[in-house]
Amino acid sequence: MSPVAPVTDPAERPIEVHDLTVAYHKKPVLWGIDLEIPKGKLVGIIGPNGAGKSTLIKSIMGLLPLSSGWVKIFGEPFKKNLKRVGYVPQRESVDWDFPVSVMDVVLMGRYGKLGLFRRPGKKDREIARECLEKVKMLPYANRQIANLSGGQQQRVFLARALAQESDLYLMDEPFAGVDAATESAIMDIMHELKDRGKTLIVVHHDLPTARNYFDMLILLNMRLVAFGPTEEVFNYELLQKTYGGRLTILSEVADAVRRKEI
Amino acid sequence: MPRFLKISLPALFLLFAASSAHAAKIGDITDTNVWDQMFRFFSLRDPSLRAVLLGSVLLGVSCGLLGCFIVVRKMSLMGDALSHAVLPGVALGFLWNMTKDPIAIFIGATIAGLLGTMVVYAITHTTRLKEDSALGLVLASFYAVGICLLKRIESLAGGNKSGIDKFLFGQAAALSQDDLILMSVITGVVLIGVGLFYKELLVCSFDVGFARACGLPTRLLHHGLMLLLAFSVVISLQAVGVVLVSAMLITPAAAAYLLTDRMHRMLLLAAIFGVTSGVLGAFFSFLGNSLPTGPFMVLAASTVFGMAFLFGPRHGTLARWWRQRSRTNRVERENTLKAIFHVIEARGFKGEGVSMEELAARRRETLDEARDRVRELKRNGLATYDVAGEATYLTPEGWQRARAIVRNHRLWELYLTSEANIAPDHVHEDAEEIEHVLGEAVVLQLEKGLHYATRDPHGKIIPSSAEIYQPEAGSPRDEAVGYGKRT
Amino acid sequence: MNEIIPPFNFQEVIVEPWTILGSEHVWVVLMGFLVTATCGSIGVYLILRRMALVGDAISHSVLPGLAVAFLAASLVAGSGAAAGGQMVEAAATGAHHNFRNPTLMFFGALAAGILTTMLIEVIHKKSRVKQDAAIGITFSSLFAIGVILISVFADKVDLDADCVLYGEIGQVAPFFSPMVEVGGVGIGTWPVVRMGTVALLTGLVIVFFYKELLVSSFDSGLAASLGINPTFVHYALMCWLSVVVVSSFEAVGAILVVAMLILPGATASLLSHRMGSIFLIVILHSALSAITGLHLGYWLNVPIAGAMVVMGVCFFTLAWMFSPSQGLLTRWLRLRVNSTSRQPAPEPGS
Repeated sequence: MSPVAPVTDPAERPIEVHDLTVAYHKKPVLWGIDLEIPKGKLVGIIGPNGAGKSTLIKSIMGLLPLSSGWVKIFGEPFKKNLKRVGYVPQRESVDWDFPVSVMDVVLMGRYGKLGLFRRPGKKDREIARECLEKVKMLPYANRQIANLSGGQQQRVFLARALAQESDLYLMDEPFAGVDAATESAIMDIMHELKDRGKTLIVVHHDLPTARNYFDMLILLNMRLVAFGPTEEVFNYELLQKTYGGRLTILSEVADAVRRKEI
Repeated sequence: MPRFLKISLPALFLLFAASSAHAAKIGDITDTNVWDQMFRFFSLRDPSLRAVLLGSVLLGVSCGLLGCFIVVRKMSLMGDALSHAVLPGVALGFLWNMTKDPIAIFIGATIAGLLGTMVVYAITHTTRLKEDSALGLVLASFYAVGICLLKRIESLAGGNKSGIDKFLFGQAAALSQDDLILMSVITGVVLIGVGLFYKELLVCSFDVGFARACGLPTRLLHHGLMLLLAFSVVISLQAVGVVLVSAMLITPAAAAYLLTDRMHRMLLLAAIFGVTSGVLGAFFSFLGNSLPTGPFMVLAASTVFGMAFLFGPRHGTLARWWRQRSRTNRVERENTLKAIFHVIEARGFKGEGVSMEELAARRRETLDEARDRVRELKRNGLATYDVAGEATYLTPEGWQRARAIVRNHRLWELYLTSEANIAPDHVHEDAEEIEHVLGEAVVLQLEKGLHYATRDPHGKIIPSSAEIYQPEAGSPRDEAVGYGKRT
Repeated sequence: MNEIIPPFNFQEVIVEPWTILGSEHVWVVLMGFLVTATCGSIGVYLILRRMALVGDAISHSVLPGLAVAFLAASLVAGSGAAAGGQMVEAAATGAHHNFRNPTLMFFGALAAGILTTMLIEVIHKKSRVKQDAAIGITFSSLFAIGVILISVFADKVDLDADCVLYGEIGQVAPFFSPMVEVGGVGIGTWPVVRMGTVALLTGLVIVFFYKELLVSSFDSGLAASLGINPTFVHYALMCWLSVVVVSSFEAVGAILVVAMLILPGATASLLSHRMGSIFLIVILHSALSAITGLHLGYWLNVPIAGAMVVMGVCFFTLAWMFSPSQGLLTRWLRLRVNSTSRQPAPEPGS
């Protein structure tokens, strides 16, 4: 259901998803998703809780097994194009008591480029410092991550993603629980990345701001409700379909599938 | 109160039965026959064996009951830490009188155990260390201190080991009369505690926030439970040993957990399993010569757990495999019915029955496979098989089911394409899976929601529920009705 | 009560271990240091990954692995007269001759470690039983089997209960174990050389796979997206742990090894926020515990491994009290300062 004209060269398409069905603990949470995301856009994923937004991101990256369908990143399966994808997970997924400094975390973003036995070198540190500078966290470079506020933690994650120097960025709720200053800082960086031709897919939790932040929106509620430019897609009818809850049958049947399996 | 009685009565019965047996004079024990030994063990005539039996029963009851609460609250390893932490207390209790004084050992061990749990709490709340590290730390540290103390005492006491080493792997035969009295008292306290505070413990274990909101003294209850746990661990030490006593807390309760969905039944089952493991363990160690009892009790408990895991009627592996198999068979049958329907539909619902060639061609299988499928249908009363003409005819029930499955499939496809906006070429595989899973209630909702549509996304007719469940003329078992030969 | 603590004679406790039998005790201390340092290093990752109790489980579970391996070996070798002669010789010197066969030990331990990990997974993934209970059930069953094996087959399996409970670190001294010669020069007794190799390999693994271990312990999502398979890392860690635990078995037994896994890393995490310093503190803690443990054990006449752990606990307690960032004393002082002064406490991270 993509109204954007498809680009002919598959290697130029950042993400192509075909008939993606994903089950979580044996219960289907995403049904038959088709997506073709064009290059250089800022795309938001919105939908109610439990709609499968994080699941979509994780299955695109191959972190969850697919019940059916396939995913291609720049025309290849994910494993072949690992280095071109940057991932910013949810903040809760990490233990913030870990004995690493801000600089250590950002350097982790360089590991993909380094391979198995090499250590981060001077060039990597330079890049890390630049990324920290961009998110305005350079003064904290040697601080342990436990002492940071929520907004600061998010910026560190963003710096790590920047350090990956990817072409495609997948972010899971980067704006959740951050202060206004951090939010606008993150937005600025996203625009800068977009201007440089990068593609960003962002799971977003807040409906009103979605309209202003993103070029295109994916409306998701267990299945794809709509995907297209924000002005076309952000209307009452489609939002009603997304958030409206008329699809109780879908979730009931999903439960039935899980129970029958067990 | 009735629940309390249900738990305590069997235990009390066993208690009385064990202690009121006659004391017979036992001559030299020379029998080596297993049956003789079994008889000797269970006939309750030998006073030292009676002690062993009684001790096993008591510890089985108290460990089984309390273990339920820690398994349900995911605190199993707290039991492990507690059981290792009591060791220095045992040593200190021993030092008090330089003899094996049960009361002194009991007090010392309980204090040490509680101290251990407090240290775990303190570490978790004042440092960055998480609970699992704190538990492991306390476990090993207290154990090391205990071992050093024990060895020191051993070297002081000279050659007389005074039974301290029995505390490490357990030796139920070392239980004295005083030990048994203490165990009975504590088990009684545990029974009374669990019986009186059952409701409160249940709520606290399930939902602490709610309990607090109801005004229950959750912290007090928690400490009370920890205290009872410490008591239970300490009295079981001599029989099971420091290293393994946590298994007697966890394993019978976990086995009970797999077999029931109700807490009071779980408590009863856990007590029974605890007693069984204790007695069996004591018996098997008795068969050998002065083998430690602890490991045998634990193995017995694990065997019970293993059996519950594999053979439990609801959650057991075997039961689940069986259900899975019957489900797979049902899906196979429904797919065959569907194929038959498709053949009949393809020729406009004209003609009689379906030949084996047509069925085999439809399913892209061999003739033999097709025959097997039809035989399976016949076994379930869904179709008949005419050997002469090599054809199959559906019985009324079979015809009903065939149409119902096709209806499910096409309804689901329509739903996915129209309501869920999924592309028409994506829905077939989904529907292949979902058609077997849709319940009648959901189907009625779907039909209503789709406004009783009659065509699926590929233009095929959707059989309607009303039409499928129309009462047929003639009796349902009559071969002549259904889709097939008419007389 | 007074007899429990013997009189502290400086000459006896501090000096004599080095003057009398000093050459023996050096090896004991070295072994203690190597065991604690190696266990402590891998223990750092166990603590960070919140798998301290899985580590506890694996350390208990190597017992049946060892018992089975030794039983198999003695069944195979036991038929020959040569084996009988070996047994007699072993009995005479009191040495554990089975421990001279490292491949056997490692194989048994690895098998036990993998079995433990798999059983825990099967129990809690395929049933309602949660992971904590699954760990408890698995290791206690396997440990019970091990104890029964060594009790029933006491003559064929060269392990006894005491060894399981607190090891026999004295056995590593040259009096009991032969020296390993390289080019005619004795570099150490067999157990020490074995442990030293394991320690060296552990150090190399940590150095070479530092990045991979760090990122998979910190953020498994990112690790997976970088192509590092979390299940593979988990199993690899468990295998490595099994090897370390079994190498330490002869010295410290199956239960004290848990202390050596957790104490150094826990102490270090109280004192530092950087991975590099944490490993340094682990090494320092190990060395101090080993040396002071010898003296304590000598003084009180208790198993040396136990004494080393007790000293390790003392150092942990000191760190807990006086840690500049998380110590109890520091907190108490901070509370006093805050309640007596009018100014609000400074905000962290501003």
